[in-house]
Amino acid sequence: MKQSTKRSYTLTFGCALAGLIALLALVSLFWAPYAADDTSGGRLTGPGAGHLLGTDKLGRDLFTQLMTGSRVAFEAGLGSVLIAAVVGVTLGVLAAFAQGWLDDTLSAFLDILIAFPTLLLAMLIVAAHSATLGSAVLAIGLAQSAVVGRLVRILVKRVLAQDYITAARTSGTSWPRIVAGHVLPNIWPTLVVNLALQFGLAVLAEAGLSYLGLGAPPPNASWGRMLQEAQATFTTAPAGALAPGILLVLLVIGVNLIADGLRDTLDPAARRRRA
Amino acid sequence: MSIKKTSLYGGATAAALALTLTACGGGSNGGGAAGGAYDKNATVNIGSLYEPQNLDNTAGGGQGVTEALNGNVYEGLFKLTDDGKVENLLAQDYKVSGDGLTYTFTLRDGVKFHSGKKLTSQDVKYSLEKVIAKDSQSARKSNLAVIKSFETPDARTVKVQLSKKSISFVYNLSYVWIINSDAKSLKTSEDGTGPYKLNKWTRGSALSLDRFAGYWGDAARNKQVVFHYYKDATALNNALLTNAVDVVTSEQSPDALDQFKSNQNYKVNDGNSTTKLLLAFNDKAKPFTDVKVRQAVSAAIDDKKLLESVWGGYGKLIGSMVPPTDPWYEDLTKVNGYDTARAKKLLAEAGYQKGFTFTLDTPNYDPHPTAATFIKSQLAKVGITVKINTITPDEWYTKVYKNHDFTATLQEHVNDRDLVWYGNPDFYWGYDNKQVTKWVDEAEQASGTAEQTELLKKVNRRTAEDAASDWLYLYPQIVVANSKLSGYPVNGLNSQFFAYDIEKG
Repeated sequence: MKQSTKRSYTLTFGCALAGLIALLALVSLFWAPYAADDTSGGRLTGPGAGHLLGTDKLGRDLFTQLMTGSRVAFEAGLGSVLIAAVVGVTLGVLAAFAQGWLDDTLSAFLDILIAFPTLLLAMLIVAAHSATLGSAVLAIGLAQSAVVGRLVRILVKRVLAQDYITAARTSGTSWPRIVAGHVLPNIWPTLVVNLALQFGLAVLAEAGLSYLGLGAPPPNASWGRMLQEAQATFTTAPAGALAPGILLVLLVIGVNLIADGLRDTLDPAARRRRA
Repeated sequence: MSIKKTSLYGGATAAALALTLTACGGGSNGGGAAGGAYDKNATVNIGSLYEPQNLDNTAGGGQGVTEALNGNVYEGLFKLTDDGKVENLLAQDYKVSGDGLTYTFTLRDGVKFHSGKKLTSQDVKYSLEKVIAKDSQSARKSNLAVIKSFETPDARTVKVQLSKKSISFVYNLSYVWIINSDAKSLKTSEDGTGPYKLNKWTRGSALSLDRFAGYWGDAARNKQVVFHYYKDATALNNALLTNAVDVVTSEQSPDALDQFKSNQNYKVNDGNSTTKLLLAFNDKAKPFTDVKVRQAVSAAIDDKKLLESVWGGYGKLIGSMVPPTDPWYEDLTKVNGYDTARAKKLLAEAGYQKGFTFTLDTPNYDPHPTAATFIKSQLAKVGITVKINTITPDEWYTKVYKNHDFTATLQEHVNDRDLVWYGNPDFYWGYDNKQVTKWVDEAEQASGTAEQTELLKKVNRRTAEDAASDWLYLYPQIVVANSKLSGYPVNGLNSQFFAYDIEKG
């Protein structure tokens, strides 16, 4: 029973961390202490009554920016993971079914894509397109789809080698039905855990792009941009850099704990052990 | 024109932008109390954010190469003093013919290159030709296009024939390094006549210069100078606090200064700068073709608050392209000053009662995103919607500077005396005023500086009234040094940093 206690602990703790920030993001949709372009606060006031975390150089409320930043982080994470899942699973399943040169080509393509650092690929796409949250998400999602695709290919190949697939085939089941009925149910636990990890990486990648000034254009707040802006004023107004930094760490730890917890819950082997 | 290079985005992309035709010299009668006794064999450690791309200023070396090598390793025929006056350096003397078209320079005797070769008129000819060569990336290239031909009657005489009169010719020559005509691989090595010779350049970290024993003039007051390059301003300040460097050439944020101001071991110098932050309209793109719209936008932005936000009490407001150190300066901050009521009235007169929307191409490094955010919130109050489009320095160079494919942009212009760019209708901002172009031409062909100044004052006033661009503010130039140091340049205008008078106590 030790296993199950640990599992519930990581999952619960992870959900609590990520949930807290998700709540912040949700609230920001309806309410924020100040308007995004309200510059009436005075320069770098520091934490106080009027402004919970103080203000930035232009006099904008930091807590408001932090809330918007959480929303941007979730948009970046969910959007990228969605693209990675759709493109990655499609490519992976295709590669697994393909034979001979097609399989080799698809695998080589995925390997090359993986060899590209996510951030570099993202910078290329952002430079060719324009710097918006959309192109950042597209870039991160595409880079991650390679990782997902390669994983899916191996998983599917393993499933296809099983006897029950041969049995299903000989009994006349069509390939699409085999994929839907046998392959996907067998690979999804591993897939979900991987996607949860990718979510954390996507949040970090978006923050990195914004830090370099290539994320969503100002005045959209992003944790990465906030970190960059606060870097020069760290000695005089540390809250501006600490707050987004801490939230970024908490969110990434949160989703990683969720992934860990999910793996323990969903892994068929672990389930069998518990039974 | 010239644009400041950023360190944020790695050197690579910024390289294309570093067209530093940095002008007018920071003199060397600089900061710090003269401390009397000093160590003649000291090593001075200088901290900077601007590493050269290469060591050749005609091959896109960037502003870092000017900072490290101008006046220290390489010398021109002339040099510029702190108050912008031209002094003879390698030229002992010069004569101008009555029609102003022939300049005859007599070279100083006994000048040797670091390689040991004697300076001759051939080297001067070679160096000038290098700047105006087809593949030259020197920003002085267009200024020196007036050169028609050279003659070198003897080893110490150079005769230059101009195609038309150019009152700034001698001034422009102060940017032309005199290089040994036999020198090879100038991107990684040097052969100049300055008080220092290059010891070693470790890419990515430091560049060291050693006192040159065979220097023709007064020897440098220190034995060695090492430029240490940092990517990050915080790391640079920490290096100063831990004595890894003795002086920081140019502070980029006011918030790090308090730790030095309250510490008697350091001195904070607030000098003159020529770097201006511009909201540059494309004067050939709607709606900025209309002077009233440009005036309205200029009047709707509270420059004072922006300056305070970014520089917290440092820096100055300017009402035009001309900084106070240029001879044709005039305080024009009242022209199109902050007045939202007037801005609204002007917009209504121009037919934009309901405002309009425009895209602001914003370089992705400081202070541009901050300034863009501020401008967006200010213009919203008069009904104008700003769409901020973030671009990299490379994109800025291609899209804005070369292709003029923009409506408005933000950029910093480093040089002194760069008002004259408004006389060029093909420049990226597309300001096309026949009268201004004529005044600028006449000023260049003026017979004396008084006439030149008079004409450029007219240009200054007209461009300001026309709101050709919106000049947001003038940067401060802040040099922070260890109190043991004296004799360093405090203005360091156009990123020059003469090191030879620095004394370390």
